[in-house]
Amino acid sequence: MQLTGLLHGAKLLGHVDFPTSEVLGPDASEDQIQALIRRHGQIFVKPLFKGGVGKKGKAGLIGRATDLAQALAEKERLYFAEHRHGNVTAKANGVTFEGGVPAEHEIYFSISDDTRFRAPTITLTHKGGIAIEELAKADIATVPFDALTGLKAFVIANALTDIGAPREIISPLVQHLPKLWELMHHYGMTTLELNPIRMRVEPNGRLTPVACDFKCGFDRDDPRVARLGLPDHLFAADVGAFEQEVNELRTHQGQSDVFVINERGTILAPTFGGGANSLVTEVLGEAASISSDFGGNPPYEKMKQVARICYRHFLAQSNVLFIIGGKSNNTDIHETLRAMGDALREHFSTHGATPLYVVVGRGGPNLVRGFGALADTCEALGLPYRFFGFDSAISEVVNYAKKIDEWMKAGGREQIARHIGIAATT
Amino acid sequence: MHARGIPGFPYYVGIASLADVATRGDRVCVLNILGGESRQVTPTSHVFSGGNVVFGTSPGRGGQKLKTAIGDIPVFDNVRSGLDAGHAFNTGVVYLPPSGVRDGVAELIRVNPGLKKIVIVTEKIAVHDAREIRAMAQGAGVDVIGGNCLGVADSWSRVRIGGALGGDHPEETLLQGTVAVFSNSGGFTTTIAQYLSTEGWGTTTLVSSGKDVYIHYGARDFAHALGNDGRSRAAVLYCEPGGYYEHGIDWAKPVVACVVGRWKSKLTRAVGHAGAMAGSGDSAADKERWFMAAFGVDALFTPDNPVVSKRGAVVTNIAHIPAALTAVMALSGARPDFAPRGSLTLKPWLANDHGISLPAELALLPVTAPEPYAAQIAELRRQVGAVIARQNMKDKSGASVMDARTQVTSVHGHPVLELALQPLQANFALPLVHEGAGPNDRALLDIAVAAEVNLVGDPVLAAAEAAREAGNSPNTVMAAAAAIVGPKRVERALACTRALIDLFVGTPLKEGHHFDFDLSTIQVDAATRALFMAREDEAKDSHPEAMLRAVRERGAKSVFLNLLLRLDGPLSRDAILAAIATTIAWGPLVRKRISRLTAETLPWYLRLYGVMVGASIPAKHHQWGSLAGISQAERYGSWTMADLCFLAITGKKPTPEQALPLQILIGLLISNGPGSISAQGAKGAVSADGPQTPRRVQINKAMAGFLTHTGYSHGGNGFEGMAFLLEQFRGVDLRDPNDPNHGIDLKAMAVAYAQRYKAEKGAARELGQELRALPGVHHPVFKGKPVNHDPRERFIAKFLAERGATNVFHAFYSELVQALYDAGATPYVFCVNVDAVIAALLLGVLWPDYRSGALGERDLETAAFNVFLYGRMIGAAAEIDDHLNRGRNMDTRTAEANCAHVL
Repeated sequence: MQLTGLLHGAKLLGHVDFPTSEVLGPDASEDQIQALIRRHGQIFVKPLFKGGVGKKGKAGLIGRATDLAQALAEKERLYFAEHRHGNVTAKANGVTFEGGVPAEHEIYFSISDDTRFRAPTITLTHKGGIAIEELAKADIATVPFDALTGLKAFVIANALTDIGAPREIISPLVQHLPKLWELMHHYGMTTLELNPIRMRVEPNGRLTPVACDFKCGFDRDDPRVARLGLPDHLFAADVGAFEQEVNELRTHQGQSDVFVINERGTILAPTFGGGANSLVTEVLGEAASISSDFGGNPPYEKMKQVARICYRHFLAQSNVLFIIGGKSNNTDIHETLRAMGDALREHFSTHGATPLYVVVGRGGPNLVRGFGALADTCEALGLPYRFFGFDSAISEVVNYAKKIDEWMKAGGREQIARHIGIAATT
Repeated sequence: MHARGIPGFPYYVGIASLADVATRGDRVCVLNILGGESRQVTPTSHVFSGGNVVFGTSPGRGGQKLKTAIGDIPVFDNVRSGLDAGHAFNTGVVYLPPSGVRDGVAELIRVNPGLKKIVIVTEKIAVHDAREIRAMAQGAGVDVIGGNCLGVADSWSRVRIGGALGGDHPEETLLQGTVAVFSNSGGFTTTIAQYLSTEGWGTTTLVSSGKDVYIHYGARDFAHALGNDGRSRAAVLYCEPGGYYEHGIDWAKPVVACVVGRWKSKLTRAVGHAGAMAGSGDSAADKERWFMAAFGVDALFTPDNPVVSKRGAVVTNIAHIPAALTAVMALSGARPDFAPRGSLTLKPWLANDHGISLPAELALLPVTAPEPYAAQIAELRRQVGAVIARQNMKDKSGASVMDARTQVTSVHGHPVLELALQPLQANFALPLVHEGAGPNDRALLDIAVAAEVNLVGDPVLAAAEAAREAGNSPNTVMAAAAAIVGPKRVERALACTRALIDLFVGTPLKEGHHFDFDLSTIQVDAATRALFMAREDEAKDSHPEAMLRAVRERGAKSVFLNLLLRLDGPLSRDAILAAIATTIAWGPLVRKRISRLTAETLPWYLRLYGVMVGASIPAKHHQWGSLAGISQAERYGSWTMADLCFLAITGKKPTPEQALPLQILIGLLISNGPGSISAQGAKGAVSADGPQTPRRVQINKAMAGFLTHTGYSHGGNGFEGMAFLLEQFRGVDLRDPNDPNHGIDLKAMAVAYAQRYKAEKGAARELGQELRALPGVHHPVFKGKPVNHDPRERFIAKFLAERGATNVFHAFYSELVQALYDAGATPYVFCVNVDAVIAALLLGVLWPDYRSGALGERDLETAAFNVFLYGRMIGAAAEIDDHLNRGRNMDTRTAEANCAHVL
């Protein structure tokens, strides 16, 4: 759950009275754009992405305009711009028009939880406006602070002194930057980054820090995020329809974390436990349709609902239903396997049968009863199955599921289809 | 701001040695001790640890107790009350929901000055709260383990604190040894300990660290305590991407590090472990490098490339941990702690490929699981039949479903159109065994039902006849008969079935007709034998011998009958019925397609089938030794269900050409899904008896429920189509409606009627009256196109056409819909619906008798009604059995909120 850009960032910063450059959204009229140019002399046109998208400047995705024609040309160029960063490709839908802030100083500032200190930590430099990684360490202050005391003015003052920041920027930053902790900590953020903050010269000669870009990450487990009243669609890029359905069942008893790896994956692998999730994701790779963690002793009804959603989205294309976890400590295997079996039976009765091989690797309380319940379902549906206990290496069980998938692709699917009396379709 | 702890750390750490992580001296207070998870886990931890939990809290539930095998744990409203009551503790365990964790930690720290450690089990704690928890604990000098962890355990002192390391039986996994375990994954903490034992390594201290953004007790803290623990010779560390917790650590002892999550770098959001998202420089690959640098190795350890040093090894597969550890330790001359226990090879416990051929490397045979699981699996194998979960079955059915698009209902996966083409006796078994019967089972079924049809001398016949004479509809006549076939009438047959199933459970018998099955291992005790034998008062009963003779004549095979015949004595009719039923049910029972309950009640249904068909035959035809003039021997020896039904409606045996339309008709009428009134009646009757106590459910009463929920509108309306056709064909010289050369100008008849109908329609409109509906024409679903078809009608028409069969009434309907459109009486060509097919087929069968005067219109109406009842009897059996197996007591009632009062 990330948010970038000033269109929404300026509103968030407004909650703590942090100055921002003036910003217009994609629906700004030509008159409004003209007036913005008139007020600021120069404006920046930036594509509007959903989610966390960085390094737009480097990708040539920031337009600059000093007249309306330029602004409209940049709007046309950037409105549906595509941006690839790492593994993620983002597509813009709209632009913002942001007033230029003439300044001599550009500041980089961020707050995040740094695992080296296990504390909230600021990163601050007066040589901002460029990628932080490109700066010398001596120019960057990285300072942890106490979460209970909060980010206090002296922390900022000390940091700026340590990196030799120009004297004229210290006071205004000491005055304004601590506000950002209020925004970060009290509204469920995990990171907050402003780059650049440009130091605007006021008529009286004083400097005011003005945020000219905005980036933050939210904690999906923190209800404080709701205080901001942000519309759900801002995070739509993060979550597909399937994930959204499962997320609605997200409670602290029984996890329901899912991520769609490959929409066309042929192994549906409901996984139990964070460790198992890492292992299964690692070994199956793109053969898996989803990466999931349904551990944490989910009750029967919740497990059944989650399974029902998984089956509806992915079962038809799946060769293998692969239920996998280590030796559970407190998850009741009978309840979870019974729920998944019942959901499978219901799915077959409402959506029709599909050729499937069922592989299970599991251990934990009521294991044999759980195996028995699921075996009954497989028998009733005519599905072949192989269940492994906790005394088989989990990684070998994952490899076994992968081999079954390959066998299914090489004709096994047709064999099972014939056995259960249906046509094999993928 | 942090308290003074172990020197050298830039933050507070209080645990100096792993021996101090979980000790017998620790005293524990559990917050939210009565929460769902704690209630399951805490008692096991408490017992395993020798009773280390001094009290728990649960606001508002103070005074309650949590029971454990070694005594109750007191519960207080809050921590202060527990301390005031004299229960001192040094360790807090937090099971609170996420939003309450921070406040719980604050309570523990602020209220108890003696607090040293906190274990946080809760997952999904907001990062905001984790920050503050860290700050509070650091300020107060308290070690925190977690959150989102399974706590800590010590295999030497047999203590576990917090979560459920080792599961229900920690002693199975927490084996004393010399290896410490630190794991980001709670599940893998136990799994790694179990894997280590396969190479003979036991454990000292196990720490489940959790993998949130904040890991309060991290790898660096663990490394320090490992160095100071004299018991631990080495450690295993399991970690995932994200965070610098493992960076730059000086490991004083050998370590096998398992880093999993390279592939996860492709994900853009954490799944499972909230903290397992790499930022910059802390990916899985980065961590592998950190560890390789720390251990002085240049590659990952794999079985094929076992790269290790004395300082350690890096693996990416937890199954490689034990071998890597053994290899690392061997360099220092260290041997495992004990002899290896088990192995990690693939060992399927349960498998069934259903005869599908898999490559040898995949077709792994099931192996014997370790105890106690092997004994549990053996017990499981003794359990015969499917186990079906109960649920509210109001308006639901596991037996039938109607496809809204085609309006075709399926019963246990078989569309009624398909069933209509099956021999009737195959369909009579289907609702109960969920599979169509094969030739052997059909023969047995014919005998079983034929043996029940002749009701001479039975009060059933008197009841049915009395109902008939009182002017009741055919369904009411049948209901009167069914009501007599109560539990006592089938008591012995059901007991015989139960006994037969008991005798064969656990044997390798796969099908009831596997005649060559070795019976030498089946021992029948005297009491059971007596159950199967005819009583003295049954000595003159001709049924058993006639049934056995018929079995021989038809060449039917039954292992169960074979066993009974070896008992050397006069078998009872009930025993033979039970043997037939068990033969039919055994295969599906072993394949777990049906429950044991279904198999055990099958004789009741078979008896009811016979009685209900028999009751539809007037009493005068039931004679000693013959039914409607057909001898017992002939009926048992060669008659089919279709023959019996034809006999019931016409009084004679059909030719194969006559039997086919009847079979189709009955097949079509089997079910219209759980929403039909007849199904509702059957389900309501089961629900009212209480299916959760299945032995109290009266299946005959459930059949009566179905029957009372049919009537002149639902079942009897089948005659409307026939009446319409009789009206059209009155005065027409039609000798054989199935003769393609009938010589009748159907088109002219249709056009004439269409014009009359149009005129009637106009007149009715003038008068503001409603025009009578045309039976067999039009359908609310199949409408609106220029030319419309009911797919069910098309299916049957195609089948008949392919056989070269003709039905003049059906052909008339086809002409009629076109003529109605041509005359402008309908806006488009209406479909000929399935009711028209039923009327046409039935009239086709009965026409010769009607023409000869043997059957009057009233007889035709009764016949139409009875044909409906024969079909629906099968569907009702399916619903009754389904509701009996799945339903809950009184689950068909409607909530008051969904009821309405009208004035």
